[in-house]
Amino acid sequence: MPEHDLDTKVKLAIYEITADTGRIPDSSAVSQEIDIDESEVVAAFGRLHTKRLVLPEPDDPSRIRMAPPFSGIATAFPVEANGRNYFANCVWDAYGIAAALHCDAVSRASDGHTGEPLTLEVKNGQPVLKPYVAHFAVPAAHWWDNLIFT
Amino acid sequence: MLLFRSEEAVNLWCAAHDIPRRPLVNLTQLWQLAIHWYGNRLTVESRRPAPDEMVSIFASLGLTGPFWDPKSDQWR
Repeated sequence: MPEHDLDTKVKLAIYEITADTGRIPDSSAVSQEIDIDESEVVAAFGRLHTKRLVLPEPDDPSRIRMAPPFSGIATAFPVEANGRNYFANCVWDAYGIAAALHCDAVSRASDGHTGEPLTLEVKNGQPVLKPYVAHFAVPAAHWWDNLIFT
Repeated sequence: MLLFRSEEAVNLWCAAHDIPRRPLVNLTQLWQLAIHWYGNRLTVESRRPAPDEMVSIFASLGLTGPFWDPKSDQWR
């Protein structure tokens, strides 16, 4: 196995554990996975945030709120894929989980206005097309200003 | 970024929340965005697209203008 820099090891561990379990690991779990001191893992979380790859919890740098497309908390965009359950951060990320895992997926989402159930599905590697639309409320230049709102 | 059954539902939601109506993306465009952004996210070389790459990706999907420009200062 090739040797990677610390940030890459941490990034891969975050995503591999998330893909395998459906839950984003905290710094303790990543530390155990790659046998690196937890304080170094927390520092790596911060650098990965600077690179806009993860979003740590605002009040706890040892936990990750978003490792896009995955969410660290329950959201309105649950995704079933590979026999596991995940949460996506938004409608884009609901498709993003299927894209990241390279598998089919189903997201039982809902209409942003009425709450009516709306299902997004990727089947045989392609989206099952419906006349639904996604609304992007925030301009691209400001997506990371407040990523939780975006 | 929310999902809606129709453009009409978007308009009602924007009015109810006093939020400006912004661009809509259909499911074909959304899937392509997901592929571009996340297709290699579990690999060593994964990274977020750079601003110029983002503009190119958006343009390839017909998403153009300052709203889709990560360097735009129109809303600052």
